[in-house]
Amino acid sequence: MPYKKLRIETVNRVGYILLDAGSRFNKLSITTIKELKRAFLQLEQDDMVNVIVLSGYPGESFAVGADIGQMVHFSPPDALHFAELGQSLFELIESCSKPVIGALNGITMGGGCDLAMSCDIRIARETLQIAHPGARIGIITGFCGTRKLPHIVGKNFAREIFMTSDPYNAAEALHMGLVDRVYATKDFWPKIMSFAERIAENPLPSLSAAKRLINAAEDTDLRTGCLLERETATHINSLHY
Amino acid sequence: MPEKLCSSKPGTEGIAVLTVTGNSGGSAKELLHALQLHIAALSGKPDVKGILLSGGHDRFCRCRLTGSKSPQEAATLSGFGQSVMTNLEKTGRPCIAVVEGECSGLGFEIALAADFIVASESSTFGFPDIASGLIPFCGGSQRLSRLVGKSKTKELIYSGELLNAEEAHRIGLINRLYPTGDATVQAEKLLTHICTRSPHAIRIGGEVVNAGYDIDLHTACLLERDAFALCFAGFDQREGMQAFLDKRQPQFEGN
Repeated sequence: MPYKKLRIETVNRVGYILLDAGSRFNKLSITTIKELKRAFLQLEQDDMVNVIVLSGYPGESFAVGADIGQMVHFSPPDALHFAELGQSLFELIESCSKPVIGALNGITMGGGCDLAMSCDIRIARETLQIAHPGARIGIITGFCGTRKLPHIVGKNFAREIFMTSDPYNAAEALHMGLVDRVYATKDFWPKIMSFAERIAENPLPSLSAAKRLINAAEDTDLRTGCLLERETATHINSLHY
Repeated sequence: MPEKLCSSKPGTEGIAVLTVTGNSGGSAKELLHALQLHIAALSGKPDVKGILLSGGHDRFCRCRLTGSKSPQEAATLSGFGQSVMTNLEKTGRPCIAVVEGECSGLGFEIALAADFIVASESSTFGFPDIASGLIPFCGGSQRLSRLVGKSKTKELIYSGELLNAEEAHRIGLINRLYPTGDATVQAEKLLTHICTRSPHAIRIGGEVVNAGYDIDLHTACLLERDAFALCFAGFDQREGMQAFLDKRQPQFEGN
């Protein structure tokens, strides 16, 4: 089945999921979220792909939340189902065995910010505008942001971002730790490609194991985490002697 | 008298200024009792939309810690202090701590219980009371290590040294850094701006952030999902989204 809201390209063991909703913003509609789930499942099974890059390049936006024109009429059960759908996409991205790089090419708001936070690494173009504007429209996020943002930038910056609902630029996002790198506009895409390709040269079982362990570290006490690491390392590192 | 250690006054546009001055002779216990009363009073006032937590002019809370007579006394004081800080977190209103000078010891613990800290270039932060053998007792060690990491927290508590404003900003202890003398005005502006947002979303969002932080991702996301759905049973969601579509300012009711 063809995609309507995105396209997939594969170059040098990197799979690119490029959101392209045909409008200025890539809204995370129910259709877009379902297509993203399908795209991640497709690249998970593609043996030619070691690393996945998610982006809205070359458009102006990475992604924004749902269509407010539709959401304004949501009943509480509608909202619950919508949150479940979004959360199931993020679970899929996190449990995906391949590293996922969020290439934040521009406007990244609300659900788009949550989508970015489900990626393993976030790299921003210097034109980044990132916000979590729920409090401006009378809601909180339902896409895991209230748990993830405080763990990425600390509770205090997270509360500021939620409370002000204001957009933050690339330098501010880098200072808070919301993005890991910032690339200049002129060489943003070539640098994204070369970074992703460098990672993709590494053996996939090792990349997957590292991703699983680091994700597990967040919810595990140190002793259990170390036990997991030992078991995993025993298996993975013995493959390379 | 409690009034001298702590005071609160209604400011403009629903911003209440809660000033924790303390004084060099006041005990931590007296200060905490006074603070508790003011927090309860502000929490009971529906017209209070936001709380600006201030230390007055130079030092953020001048109360010196003194050793307790017995371990039981120390335990009681610590338990009480921790509950006061929890109440400060649970007012349901946005609360910004503004620091213009030295913010140390108990004052630092109080500032850490705010939603976030903004400060001027002349501010400093630390726990110098280690020299008298005292460690934080109002949740400060736990809040600080969650905010800036374990190593930085140990460095500060072991050494008793004060951190300067620039370093505090660099490590994310303070969210915003302003020129000396400008922090209070800027903090009030920021809080007024925050108070134009949905009070319901801010209250629920703050609660979910706090409740979700120390539990596993899966359970926290379930909690968030339900809180998100609940927003769609209230007024603020419809008003906020309709105002966005109409390109006008929303008039929130806070439910």
